[in-house]
Formats: sequence, structure tokens, C-alpha cells
Amino acid sequence: MNRSRIAPYLYILPLLLLLAFVFGYPLVRIFEFSFKQVRGINGPWVGWANYKLVLGQDLFWDSALHNLFLLIAVPVMVGWSLLISILLYERIRGWKLYRVILFVPYILAIPIIAAVMKKVFQFSGPVNEVLRWIGLDFLALDWIGSSDVALWTVMLLIIWRESALGIILFLARLLSLDESLIEAARLEGANWWQRARYVLIPQMKTVIEFYVVISVITMLSSVFSYVYIMGGGRGGPGTSTMVIELYIFSALVKISLPGIASAVSVLLFLISLLLIVPLFAVRRQAYREEVE
Amino acid sequence: MTTKQNGSAGFSRRKLLQASAGLGAGAALGGLLPSLSARADAPTLNMWWWGEQELPGLQAFLDDSVKAYSAASVKTMLQDTAVVISQFQTAAAAGNAPDIQYLWNGIYHMESVWLGYLKPLNGLLKDDVLKASQPTLLSHFGNNIYRMGWYPQPMIWIYNKDLFDKAGLDADSPPKTWDEMLAACDKLKAKGIEPCGGGIQDGYWGEWFFGHALAQQIDSTGEAIDLFTGARDFRDPKYYDPWTRIEELRKHDFLNPDMSSLGLYPGIDLIVTGKLGMGVSVGARVPADSKTSKGRIGCMVMPVYGKGKMAGKPILDSQGLGISTNSKNPEAAAAFLEYLQSPERLKVFWDKTGWIPANSNFDTSVIEDEVVKSMWKSWGQSENIPYVSNVVPGQFYEQALLPAAQQVVQGQITGEQAGELAAKIAGEWRDFNPDMVENYKKWAKDLSA
Repeated sequence: MNRSRIAPYLYILPLLLLLAFVFGYPLVRIFEFSFKQVRGINGPWVGWANYKLVLGQDLFWDSALHNLFLLIAVPVMVGWSLLISILLYERIRGWKLYRVILFVPYILAIPIIAAVMKKVFQFSGPVNEVLRWIGLDFLALDWIGSSDVALWTVMLLIIWRESALGIILFLARLLSLDESLIEAARLEGANWWQRARYVLIPQMKTVIEFYVVISVITMLSSVFSYVYIMGGGRGGPGTSTMVIELYIFSALVKISLPGIASAVSVLLFLISLLLIVPLFAVRRQAYREEVE
Repeated sequence: MTTKQNGSAGFSRRKLLQASAGLGAGAALGGLLPSLSARADAPTLNMWWWGEQELPGLQAFLDDSVKAYSAASVKTMLQDTAVVISQFQTAAAAGNAPDIQYLWNGIYHMESVWLGYLKPLNGLLKDDVLKASQPTLLSHFGNNIYRMGWYPQPMIWIYNKDLFDKAGLDADSPPKTWDEMLAACDKLKAKGIEPCGGGIQDGYWGEWFFGHALAQQIDSTGEAIDLFTGARDFRDPKYYDPWTRIEELRKHDFLNPDMSSLGLYPGIDLIVTGKLGMGVSVGARVPADSKTSKGRIGCMVMPVYGKGKMAGKPILDSQGLGISTNSKNPEAAAAFLEYLQSPERLKVFWDKTGWIPANSNFDTSVIEDEVVKSMWKSWGQSENIPYVSNVVPGQFYEQALLPAAQQVVQGQITGEQAGELAAKIAGEWRDFNPDMVENYKKWAKDLSA
């Protein structure tokens, strides 16, 4: 009996060891580095000093706030993706072509998109030129050069690209639904909004939650490429587009303080856990409800 | 094999050809073997370098040099701008740094000196070669020199002569004082010309401006270093003055309106293409920019307002190469560096890059462009000063120097507030880097002497 219980674990042991090495080792080393004043690859133990220095620095808090600010994009992305996916599901004329066009941004490399958008949004770039041409001069902003606007511009770009994933996920879920339900709703006289609100969206709950989790993680720890390119490589202008990832990169690569970079990485890890764990709890609850 | 009737094995035509080919190849290999064996005995050197980004043609120069060099096999690797320092330091800490490393001037390599990652070159390279390569003052620490000069980099202001003509200004006599410059800006503005600026979206314009402007207010580079050790304070108006000058230009509406959304080099292109009056630039760009503008680019020292001993003097920076303490064969590395300074290599450098190498023996009469010739005379062959932005610690550079200028250009903060930010970040740098402060103090003493 005992042997049969242990056997499955023995089979997966090599894989577990490999996973522990690949994911566990760097994690342990990052925690260790965060307590050292590392230069190069080693340095003296300094205890909590790195954390104290980081937490006492305005730049760190500004960076964290910018990440939190970007979370505003999550509901926008969800709403927009839902709207578009339901429209496509309704098989509007040319929906297959639209589906391809909408997904294209997601398969393009972020640095390329960001570099192109940087040109597009320059003060003397095409966006402002068009706005001026149609007499909307007051809307011609310094999209990437103004501290007040730059983070919004980055957010706009993120929404544009990352929504593509949401649209495809939601559409895939919609296409797998039993069409008889929506037909029944149609026959009952439900209008577009009622069909979406009471028939389609409730059945998409799991995929919406998944997309929300993915998007929150993106806003917290996967926007580096966007801000690196759009913010001139250093979260500018000023520090208006500085985010935690860029702070870590800067501490590690530009100012050669791996200990500080590690401390901030640990903090980012903890912040992400703090936000993601409740989302998983919500997901678990939703699963229970579905089973019942 | 064919057999002759007498039974002896003879040569067929094919065999004869094969044998001849074999003999020929053997003879050829015999000729090659000595050089191959010599090459096999030669040490292998690794060289990490940067500069193609700044001076196109360096790659071709190095490829040619490596190919022509027989005393060692040299493997070169072009580094990305973002990792020139960190990649070397990480490798050095792990004991795997290359034999030869590209080194920016000042703190960009001095930090590695203090960490023990670089070998002094005096004693390794022949004295006359090292001296002729014009290693800068900022390559010295204690009694040692840690970089060999590779190519010089005058830090300059440029202006567009056509636009000066259009505004009724004397294109052959650019403004020498700050007041003259403001007056010139007024005239340019009156003619609908954007007078001054460039591109600051990537931040570097702020560094260049600071390098020119702070020099006006100080007597020595050591005085600039004092600002980081805490011996002096950025909140003193004398030291936050560089940002006050930017503020002044902005308040007068003299800066181009798209400055914040343009990068450094596209900003300089505005001057070259006649869309902007004047701004900061670097010497290595001048040959190409002069050609593009058909000789209508002028070079000038930043107009003077300061009272420091360094005010009004041309700034000469230099890019350089050093030898890592990890090198297993520093003598071979030194020999390769000496080879790069040989007259034949200097000529190849000029041919491949169109820019002059850092060597006082190089015959600069090869320069034909009058603009370049005149610039080199003023910056390279006259009394010049170090580039003070090179003593700025990395953390200060990233978190104060570049962001402060960007914010002043946008009108988000004043020059005085930029000084407060600078003082705060200088303090944070001391907290974050306690191990560097003492070295900085010693360096300040060296450079104040």
C-alpha cells in the first residue's frame, strides 16, 4: 500500500528536482542577494539595509505608484475585449478579417510596436499633424515628451496591444458555447445587450477571471519593454514612466547595485503575491459555485 | 588500378593527376605550416568594445586590425551601450573579464579601478605610446594611468551658419558670452527660427548641457567631485546654475517645442538640416554633419557666463581602452594596444572611420574639411579642459542629472528645485554606495591639485 502511494512521487521526483533548480535556485539567490551589498557577484552581508534604503527612496514609491496606476488599464482592456469579441461572435460582416487584424498587434514584438508608436506620438509626429490638420490643435499634446501625459500614452499602447489577447481568448470561449442558448434568447426577443449581459458574459466568467489575472500580472511586472522604449530607456521624461521593473533594471545594469535590484525584486514579488493571491481565491470560489 | 601487360603496377592518368595534386597541396601546406604553427602558439585575447554606435567604421577598423595582427589571436565583441559597464564588472567579479575592455572616461572606468578590475597601463605599455595616446586627466588615479586613448571626442556647441545669415547674425563670429547668445536667440526667433535646443527625450542632452555649464562655475574637476562627497552642495546657486540656464532658455521660449519628444541625435540633426539655430554636439559627428550641410555648420565653445577657471575653455573628452586584471596575458594585451597605436594602424583608423585617432603623432593635415580642421585646432591642439559630466556617479546620472534637465525643459521644476533634487540624490548615492565615497574623496584631491 505504502509503496503504491510513494510510487507516483518517485516518478515525478526528477522533474520536481529540475523545477526546484530552475525556479527555486534563482529565487533563493535573489533573496540572499537582497541582504548583501553586492558588487559584481558578491559582497558583504548588510541585513535589511537594502530594503531600508529602497523604502526610503521617493523614486521607488513613484515607480510602484506608476505600476498601480497602470492597473486602471485592466478594466478598460476587459470591457473593450468583451465588446469586440461579442461583436465578432455576432458574425458581423467581415468578422474573420477583423479578428486577424485585431490579433496582429499581439504577435508583433513590443519593442518594434513601441518604437513605431514613439514616432507616431512625437510632438511633430503624425497623430498631432492629423489633429492640427482637422483643426483640433488643442488635442495635439506632447504625448511622450510631457510628464503629465507620457504614462497615459504608454497605457494606451498597452491597452491596444494586450487587448488583442483578451479578444481572442473571449472569442474562443464564445465560439465553444452552445449556440442553442443564444438562439433561444433571440427567439424570446432578447436584444443585443440582454443577450450579452444575461447569456454570454455569465458563461465567460472563468475566462474573464483568467484574463484579469494575466492582465494584473502584466501591469505589475511585464511592462518593461513598453516603458523602456517609450520612456527613452530610463522611464522619462523625468521619472514619469518609471516602473518597478525599470527601477530593477536600472539598479542592476546601469548603476551596478545588484543588492538593491534584488531587494526591489523581492518587494515586487511580494506585492504581486499580495494582489494575485486574492484573485486566485476568487477564482476558487467561482469554481466551487460552478461545480455546485 | 590498371595493370600493364608486364605485370608491374603503373600510373594511370588519374593517378598521376592525384599524385600531382597531392604534392602541390603538400608543398602549399608546407609553406603555410610555419605561420599556422606560429598562430597556434600565439595567445588568444578577448576584447570587448563599444563605439560603432557612435563612430561607424570602428568595426571595420578592428576587423582589419585583428586580421593583420599575427602576434595574438584577438576575438572582439561589440557591446551594447546599456551594458558596457555592468557586463565588464560582472565578468570581472566572476574572474572572466576580457583581456582588453573598452572604457568610457572618468567614473565610467574609475569605479572598476577601485574595485580592482583594471590594471595600470604605465609599466605595461611603452611610456611614449601611452603618452602619445593622450590618456586624459580623468584616466589617472594615484600615480597610475588606467586607459589608453583610442579616439578623441571634443564636446562642442554647433550652430547653423545659414540660419545665422538669415537672422542677420555674423556666421563667422558665433556668440561668445551668454548675453550675446540670448541676443542672437532673439534675432533668430524674430525671423521665425527655433533658436536653440535639440532632443532630450532620452535624457543625454541634459548630461551634455550640464558638462558644458557646470564647468563655467568651477575651478577644477575636483570641485565637481566635492558635490558628490558632500563637501559641496548642489543647493548652492553656483552649482545648480546649469539648470537655471535651461530654465532661462525655456522661459524666453528659445527651446524648440518638440525637444521633449526627440532623442539626442535627431535633435542635433535639426541643426544640421537647418531647422534649429544651435545646440550641443560632439566632435566625432562634425565631419559627417559638415558634409551634409555643405560646410555650413560652425563649432563654438558654450557662451560664457561663469567665473570659474574652466569657463570658456574647449572641452576634450576621449574614448579609451584598458587591460583587465583577469587577463592571463597582460603583456600580449599591451602589445596589441601598442599595435593599434602604430602609424600604419592610425592611418587605417582614419581611412575606415573618417575620424582622427587619439595619438599626438598622427598627422592631422589629412583633414581636408575646413570646419573639421578648425574645430580640431581649437579643441584638440589648444588648451582644453576635462568633461565634468564624466565624474558624475551612475546613480546620480540616472536619477538626477538626466531627469532634472528633462523636467526643467518642460517647466515642471525650476533650476533651484533641480538643485534640491540633485542634492537629495547625491545624498542617496552616498547612502547606497558607502564603499565608493572614500575613493571619490581621494580622486577629488588628485584632480584639485
